[in-house]
Amino acid sequence: MFPTPLAKTSRSWQISYQVLLPIMLIIWLLPLIAVANFSIKPESDFVNGNYWGIPSSFEAFNNYGKVFFESNMPRYLWNSLFITIPTVIGAVALSCMAGFALGVYKFKGNLMIFFIFIAGNFVPFQILMVPVRDLTVSMNLYDTKTGLVLFHIAFQTGFCTLFMRNFIRALPFPLIEAARVEGIAEWKIFLYVVLPLMKPALAALAVLIFTFIWNDYFWAVVLTQGPDAQPVTAGITEFNSQFRAAYHLMSAGSIVAALPPVAMFFLMQKHFIAGLTLGAVK
Amino acid sequence: MHSILKTSLAALVTAGVVASSAAADGHGLSGELNISSDMSNPAPRAVMEGLAADFDALHPNLTVNLTIVDREAWKTQIRNSLGANPPDVVNWYAANRMRPFVDAGLFADISDLWAEPEFEALASTKGAMTLDGAQWGVPYTYYQWGVYYRKDIFAEYGLSEPTNWEEEKANCQTLLDNGIKCYTIGTKFLWTAGGWFDYINSRTNGYDFHVALARGEIEWTDPRVAQTFANWRELIDMGAFIDDHQTYSWQEALPFMVNGEAASYLMGNFSVAAFRDGGLTDDQLDFYQFPVINPDVDYAEDAPTDTFHIASGAQNMDAAKEFLRFVTSADVQTEINSGSGLGQLPVNANSSIDDDKFLQEGFEMLSNNAGGGIMQFFDRDFDAEMASVGMEGLQEFMVFPDNLDDILARLEETRQRIYN
Repeated sequence: MFPTPLAKTSRSWQISYQVLLPIMLIIWLLPLIAVANFSIKPESDFVNGNYWGIPSSFEAFNNYGKVFFESNMPRYLWNSLFITIPTVIGAVALSCMAGFALGVYKFKGNLMIFFIFIAGNFVPFQILMVPVRDLTVSMNLYDTKTGLVLFHIAFQTGFCTLFMRNFIRALPFPLIEAARVEGIAEWKIFLYVVLPLMKPALAALAVLIFTFIWNDYFWAVVLTQGPDAQPVTAGITEFNSQFRAAYHLMSAGSIVAALPPVAMFFLMQKHFIAGLTLGAVK
Repeated sequence: MHSILKTSLAALVTAGVVASSAAADGHGLSGELNISSDMSNPAPRAVMEGLAADFDALHPNLTVNLTIVDREAWKTQIRNSLGANPPDVVNWYAANRMRPFVDAGLFADISDLWAEPEFEALASTKGAMTLDGAQWGVPYTYYQWGVYYRKDIFAEYGLSEPTNWEEEKANCQTLLDNGIKCYTIGTKFLWTAGGWFDYINSRTNGYDFHVALARGEIEWTDPRVAQTFANWRELIDMGAFIDDHQTYSWQEALPFMVNGEAASYLMGNFSVAAFRDGGLTDDQLDFYQFPVINPDVDYAEDAPTDTFHIASGAQNMDAAKEFLRFVTSADVQTEINSGSGLGQLPVNANSSIDDDKFLQEGFEMLSNNAGGGIMQFFDRDFDAEMASVGMEGLQEFMVFPDNLDDILARLEETRQRIYN
C-alpha cells in the first residue's frame, strides 16, 4: 500500500531520486519564481521582451515602494483583514455551537439537519452567483465589506459545522455526562467542558478558514467593486491601466498579497495539517 | 418623411427655447449635480476630480457629487446605474456603443446643445455622436491610430513613409528580404486585428461603406468585402506579420519592434508611452498615416472617442447641460488632454495640444486629413455581438487565410441573426 521507503531502494534509484527532486521542484515552482522575478524588474524589461532573463536593473525597492505608497494596496490589505477576521470569528463561533448541538443532543431531525449542512458543501458555489448578487443588492449590502462577511460566514458555516460536529462526536461523552450529574447548566458545559477540549479543532479551523477567505477571488469580484470594499485579491487588477498591464507592479502586489496566508501557514503549520486531516477518520 | 420633418421641427423649436433659457440662468445653477465616471486609472481619475472641483467652484450654489467606478466594472454597471435612480451625467463611448442606451431611452437627446454655435468646433466627431438623426452625448478626448514605425530601420534600408499600397508592399518586401518582419501584432485578445480590418476596409471601400457594414446594412459575402480581404491577404501571403501572433497580447507584441525584429505596428497612440519605456527615442520612432489603397476614397481614421452623456432620468438637467458645455470648451479640453492629464487629443478644434510630435501629427491628421470620417474602432462601431464574432473571424483569417469563405459565411449568418 505504501511506497517502499527510499532507504531500502537501490543506490542508483536513490541517486536519480535526489537529482530529479530538485528539478521537479523548480519546474513546480516556476510560475512563482517568475512572479518573484517579475516583481523586481523595471517596466522596460517587459517592453523589451526580457521576461525570463536577469532584470536589467534592480527595481525591488521602486516596485514595492509604489505598491505600498502610490497605490490603493494598503487599503485593499486592510479590507482583506476586515473581511477575513470577522468571517473567521463568525464562522467558527457559529459552527462550534451548531456542532455542539448536532454532536451532543439527540433530537428528531438531527441527522437530517446534519445532512443538509453536508449537502450544502456539494453545491458548486458558482451557481449561486446571480441570486447572491441580487440578494446583496436588494439588501443594500452590495459593494460593502459587511455584505461579503455575511455571505462568507453563511457559506463557510456549512463546512465548519461538519468539521466541528465530527470533532465533538469524537470527544469522550462521559465527560459531558459527568458534568450533567454535577448539575451544571448546559451552556456552561459547552463553555467550560467542551470548548477547552476543542482548542486543536478551533485553531485548525481558524487557520483553514483564514486562508480560504483571504484567497477568495470569486466573491470579491462578484460582490464588491472599488477600493472601498474590495479585498486585495481583487484589488491587484488595479494595476491594469486602461491600455497597459503593469506586470511588474502586479507581481509585486501579488507577492505582498500572498504573504499573510503564507506566514499563517508557517506559523501554524501544525494546526494546518491537523485541520486537513481532522475529521477525516471519525 | 412627414414625421421626420415634424420631429426635427419640434427639435429645432425646443432647441431654441432651451438654449435661450439655459443662457439666461446659466449662472444661477443650484441643487446637486451627480456625475458617475469611469475614469478610474490614476491620471484620468485626477483629471475627472479636477473637472468636478472646478465646475463646483464655478457655481457656488451647486453641489457636484462625483462617483468614480472602475473602468471595466462600469461597462456592466452602467445598465443598473441608468435604470434606477440615475445620476445626471455619465461617461460612456461614442458610436454604436451608445445604441442600447439610446434604444432603451436611457440617454437624453441633447441635439439642442449641438445646435449651439460653440459646438461647431466639435464637428469631427458629430457623426460619431449621432444615432437616429439626433446627438446623445459629447466627446472629451480621443486619440489617433496609425502606423508607428522604426525610423532607423527604414533609414538603414533606404525606405521612406509609404503613401499608397504599392509603396507599402514594396517597403515590406525590402524588409522581408533582409529578415525583418514588416508588422508586429498580437491578436490574442482579437481587437488588434479589428484595427487592420477597419483600415483596409475603409481604404478599399470608403468610410460610408464601412459604416454601412457596421450597421449591418451590407452582407459580409458582398464582393467589396471580399476585395478588402484580398488586399489584406496580399500582406499575409508575403509573411508580413510576425509568426504566432495569436499567442501574444498587444503588449507582448511590443518587444518584436523594440528589438528590431519587426519594423512597424498599426496601433493607437497609447503605444508611444510603451515604446519610450522600452528605450526607443523619438529619433528611432515615427508615425505615418495608413496609406491609400483605393485613390477614389478619402482617408477615414480610427479615433476612439470617450464621451459624457446625460441620463434621461437626470434630476438636474440644466446643470448637466452646463457641465457638458464646460467639458467641451476649448480651454478645458486643452487642459484635460495635456501631457500631465490624459496625454491624448482634445476634440475641440480650437484647443491647443502638447508639444509632442505624435500628438501634433495626430491632431493635424484628424483635424485636416480625415475627410472620409472618424471611425470609432471595430468593437465600438459594430454591434457588440457582431464585433465579438467578427473579431474571432478576423483573427482566424490572419492565421488560416484559406478559411475565408467559411468565415464570411459565418459572419453573414451572425449578421442576419442580429440585424433582422
